[in-house]
Amino acid sequence: MNIYIPKNFKIIKIIEETPNIKTFTLKPLNGEKFSFQTGQFIELTVYGVGEAPFTPSSSPYKTETIDVTIMRVGRMTEVLHSLREGDIVGIRGPYGKGYPVEKFVGKEVLIIGGGVGLAPLRSLLLTLIERINEFKRIILCYGARTPQDVVYKYLFPEWKKVKGLEILRSVDKCKPGEWDETIGVVTCLLDKVQVDIKNCVAVVCGPPIMMKFTTLKLIDMNFSPAQIYLSMERNMSCGLGKCGHCQIGSYFICKDGPVFTWEQLKDIPEPFE
Amino acid sequence: MKRRVSYADFIDILNGLLEKEQKLIYYPLNNGHLSNTSVNKDLKNFSLLNIRTIEPIKLLFFPVKDSLVDKIELKQRIGVGIKWCDIQAIKVLDKIFLSDYVDESYKNYREQTLIITTDCINPQQNCFCSLVGGKPYVEQKDGISDLNISFVDDNNLILESFSLTGDKFLQEYFNNFDEPTKTEELQRDSNREVANKKIFNHNIEFLKEENEKYYKTLKHTYEFDKIWDSASEKCVQCGGCNFICPSCYCFLIREASESFENQFRDKVWDVCHFTGYARVAGGANPRKYKYQRFRNRYQCKFVYRYENFGFYACTGCGRCIDVCPAKIDIRKVIRSLVLAKGEEVIVKK
Repeated sequence: MNIYIPKNFKIIKIIEETPNIKTFTLKPLNGEKFSFQTGQFIELTVYGVGEAPFTPSSSPYKTETIDVTIMRVGRMTEVLHSLREGDIVGIRGPYGKGYPVEKFVGKEVLIIGGGVGLAPLRSLLLTLIERINEFKRIILCYGARTPQDVVYKYLFPEWKKVKGLEILRSVDKCKPGEWDETIGVVTCLLDKVQVDIKNCVAVVCGPPIMMKFTTLKLIDMNFSPAQIYLSMERNMSCGLGKCGHCQIGSYFICKDGPVFTWEQLKDIPEPFE
Repeated sequence: MKRRVSYADFIDILNGLLEKEQKLIYYPLNNGHLSNTSVNKDLKNFSLLNIRTIEPIKLLFFPVKDSLVDKIELKQRIGVGIKWCDIQAIKVLDKIFLSDYVDESYKNYREQTLIITTDCINPQQNCFCSLVGGKPYVEQKDGISDLNISFVDDNNLILESFSLTGDKFLQEYFNNFDEPTKTEELQRDSNREVANKKIFNHNIEFLKEENEKYYKTLKHTYEFDKIWDSASEKCVQCGGCNFICPSCYCFLIREASESFENQFRDKVWDVCHFTGYARVAGGANPRKYKYQRFRNRYQCKFVYRYENFGFYACTGCGRCIDVCPAKIDIRKVIRSLVLAKGEEVIVKK
């Protein structure tokens, strides 16, 4: 088997989340199912343009199709955003180690997401919702830059109805009257959360700067480094622990992550940019 | 299995392999370069007397550019005259390309290549395998090698097989030769001792320490960033040290398909010193300063891969010292860190 060659997937649906974020629903062209563990990532190819890593945002319980939520931010995603339903892309994977959901059982799970960082967390959230009774409590803190930048706007009303799931949201800034929830960076939501620190895990995903300050804030709240799970993103190129691009200390993010505890990363130079 | 062969007979037999059996033979030239098999019809300018070739042996298994789509039918190949430093580097590459997910192309190149190693009889100023736990000759316990060539004197060689493939090769082509005598083996050992002394003397100003000392010295501490900053001051980030390094394995996947029905991609060597190496879409860069990238390369060799594999990814070949336009010497950089950290400097006389 050639580990570097992708399989073909058809884009069957595109949802425009924000002006620069789209969710693509992809279906294997050969009719096979696609299984992954929540938090694992895939390498997505736009043929002739490039390949880049993304974490599926759909539930791993759904294997006929996968969703990936992608921000238009570079050369490859620019082209990806111009694709239409019916177009073919390539996928390799899934790769890496996802969220250790079994370790969360019986605990309070505090999920903190920033911007498009909610994509992998949506997959985690859908997994947890599937087994909601096994967790003591689930709290989602989500921050976006402006109300327009909030992703999955259509899903929040549904999630708010889920018993055992609490949702807090913030935006960094907004026009008067545009937002009736918290205004401020996502870490300020943590001031409003009361958790049983001893029996709680925190799961963080977002831009590097947000991950950094959220981690500091959690440490400040007395979370131990082993209780903080971070979904790290680098420029994973091969996804197989070979090409070297995503090295962080002695870890390859693609193989040993992308989910790490802060305990694993705290002594490594420049974990967040 | 051991055989004693004259230098001239050895070359004759290899020439026969080249002509009659059309085997691809990669060998060291007397000008220090690695031969290019495609242009050689006989072993012209063959020499075993130099140090490792200028080009790293990784080229045999991990070409600068290698298609990930086309499956190549490889002829059996022979790499002759490979030194300890390149053997150690192949160990690193094997760990990367053959563990977890197997890189089929690399595996194919490795399986189709008979590795014939040789002693270094005349280590040069920039050789420092002794500092990273190595030595200027290969033994069976070092692995990788199928067959080793060592020197009784300039005209007589001892061939010693280290693997089943090596055994077969000796039986097939060198069966008519005698086993070396005890005296000849002792002469060989004393040649090795001379090489050992030479390499020790070339490195006398540097550290002769326990292996894990480098690991401790180079393990990250932020207060030494200023030393990395000054050590990397002259570095022009040309990437020469990465390309020439026998154990640097980083590559980029270049996606160049015409369409989903006509896929093409290849892997191309990449360089961790380049600004864009770790940069992600959107422009964020975990190692945006030169000193961070410079430091990362040292830590990759002496800290990270050591943690992964239990041995250093630097093999002491000294190619990076030879190639550097800024004359940066890896040994001096490490020494400056040791001195700055105030650790004991032991020079064994």
